[in-house]
Parts: sequence; C-alpha cells; structure tokens
Amino acid sequence: MFKKTWQKIILGFFLFLLAASGIYWYYATEKFTDTALEKPAYTVNAADLLHAFQTDSKAANQQYADKIVEVKGIITGTEAADSSINIKMADPGTGSYLIFAFQDQHLDEAAGLKKGDSVSIIGSCSGGVYSDILETHAITFKRSALIK
Amino acid sequence: MKKTILALAFIGAATLSFAQKRVTTSAIIQFDASTSIDELPKAENKTVIAAIDPVKGTVQFEAAMKNFAFKNPMMQDHFNSKNWMNSDEHPKATFSGQIRNLDAVNFNKDGNYTATVEGILSIKGKENKVTAPATIIVKAGVITANTEFSIKLADYGIEGAPIAAGKVAKEPKIIVSAEMK
Repeated sequence: MFKKTWQKIILGFFLFLLAASGIYWYYATEKFTDTALEKPAYTVNAADLLHAFQTDSKAANQQYADKIVEVKGIITGTEAADSSINIKMADPGTGSYLIFAFQDQHLDEAAGLKKGDSVSIIGSCSGGVYSDILETHAITFKRSALIK
Repeated sequence: MKKTILALAFIGAATLSFAQKRVTTSAIIQFDASTSIDELPKAENKTVIAAIDPVKGTVQFEAAMKNFAFKNPMMQDHFNSKNWMNSDEHPKATFSGQIRNLDAVNFNKDGNYTATVEGILSIKGKENKVTAPATIIVKAGVITANTEFSIKLADYGIEGAPIAAGKVAKEPKIIVSAEMK
C-alpha cells in the first residue's frame, strides 16, 4: 500500500516535469507568425495615426502600441537599413513620421516601393517616441508586410 | 538696420548649424545577449535615429526600445517587461557623445577612418559613460559609422535569474551601424 503511493507520487512528478518541459519548449522555440496573415487590431490612415500621436502621445501609445495595425497612406520616403529598405510616411508640416521595418520574408516587397506610392502596410506597432534629435514624433513598426 | 543684420546672421547661423548635421532614421542596433546555453536573447532595431555633426564631432542616437525585434515572442515580452527594460516607462535608449579624435577624420574626403567615440549611454533611465572604437566611412558625401561594444546589464539596473543562470549574457554585445546623408 505504502509502496504504491510512492510509485504514484514519483509517476505524477515525472508527468509534471514532462508537461512543464513541453510547455517551456513550446514557448522557447515559438517564432512570430507571418504578419501578413494576422488580423489587424486597427486599420487607420497614416495622417490620422500621426495626428493621434501628435495630439496625445500617451493615449495613442496605450491604444496602438504592441498591436497589429494596418496603415493606409502615401510613401514620403524610403531609407536603406543595411540590406533592407524602411518605408516612411511623414507629416510634411511637422516632420513627424511613421516608419516601417519589414519582416524577413517581406523584405523584397519593401525594395519594390518608392516615394509617392499609395500603399497599405500591416505591422507590429511599437508605439511612438518624441525624438529630441529631430524634434518630431517617431512612430515605429517592426515585422511589417505589404498588403496586396 | 542693426536688428535686420542681427536677424539675418541668426537665421544664417541656424541654417548652417542644421545643414552640418547628417541624420538617418534607419540606423541599426543589434543587441546580442546570447550565451552558449541560450541563443534566443538577440534582437535588432532597424529604425534607430542617428545624427552626426562633422564640424562639432557630436554623435547622437535614439532607439525606441519596443522596436527591437526578436525572433521569439516570449523573449521580446521579457525584454520589454518591468524587470528588464521597462519599456513602457523608459521607451527609448539614447546616446550622446563626441568623437575624441576629430582631427583624424576628414569628412570632406572619401576614405575609411578610425575614431574613438565617448559619451553617455542612457538605458532604462540609468546613465553610464561609454567609450568605443568606431569606423567612419566617407563616400560620395555619405557618412557610414560602425561600432561594436559591450555593456554591463547591472550598470543599467538589469538583473535577474536568467542572467545569474547564464542564459542571458551579463555583458551583451551592442553592434551599431548608421548610414547618414
């Protein structure tokens, strides 16, 4: 009777250890999914998003940061970032801007874009910071993809 | 008349000062805290703001912490969490410094130059002095700056079990690359 109880405890412990290892392995090896396949939490125009950050940065960060956001707008510039291209949509009046760094599997899409193109880009919004260097708001996106 | 001349001089000086500065909003900072037992703590931020003033020799960087992209979602959450970078309260890391050997860099002539940059790095609201060697490449009016250095996480108030257990490097490598026009 005493022996069986111990066997159950040891078996339970090993099962717990196995489950815990499995859960850890799952999270440790998980990778971000393709952003192009994700459903956006918000779909906004570039001008409206810039306005939101410029008028109330705290509220805009609470609303958009760490969310998947689809942005529609006109490209105002492209910038080389190593072997990839970042896409910018800027407010010509204030210089504040949205900038999109593309996900690895979508780098080619960015390379084909140019100033003046009207596009929809989906990305993970990292929120906005006020740049003391540029004296403008910079709203950054990572893992972006072009919506075709 | 005097006031007009003064105003024109001020505008001229301001314009000249602005023209001196070369900037980019697409500088790259790689953060590598991987160890032999964990390769995950590694990230890249491709939207860093960088500026260099060839006349004064000043160098500045601003990086939005939340735009460091990790491959692993759990690692990215940990990085931005309160115990680590506390990115909600300290949304950007900054560097403000000076090229110490400005005489050794000719920004008007194409070439590769070795510089020493010294300044204050601010992460998570904590400031520390950093000195790093940098390579400055001048080509057709474009200035490309590259540097690599290490920081001590403890100097920025970043401590925790994964660091003590050797899963995160105590002194991660910071690799910076900026192409300024």
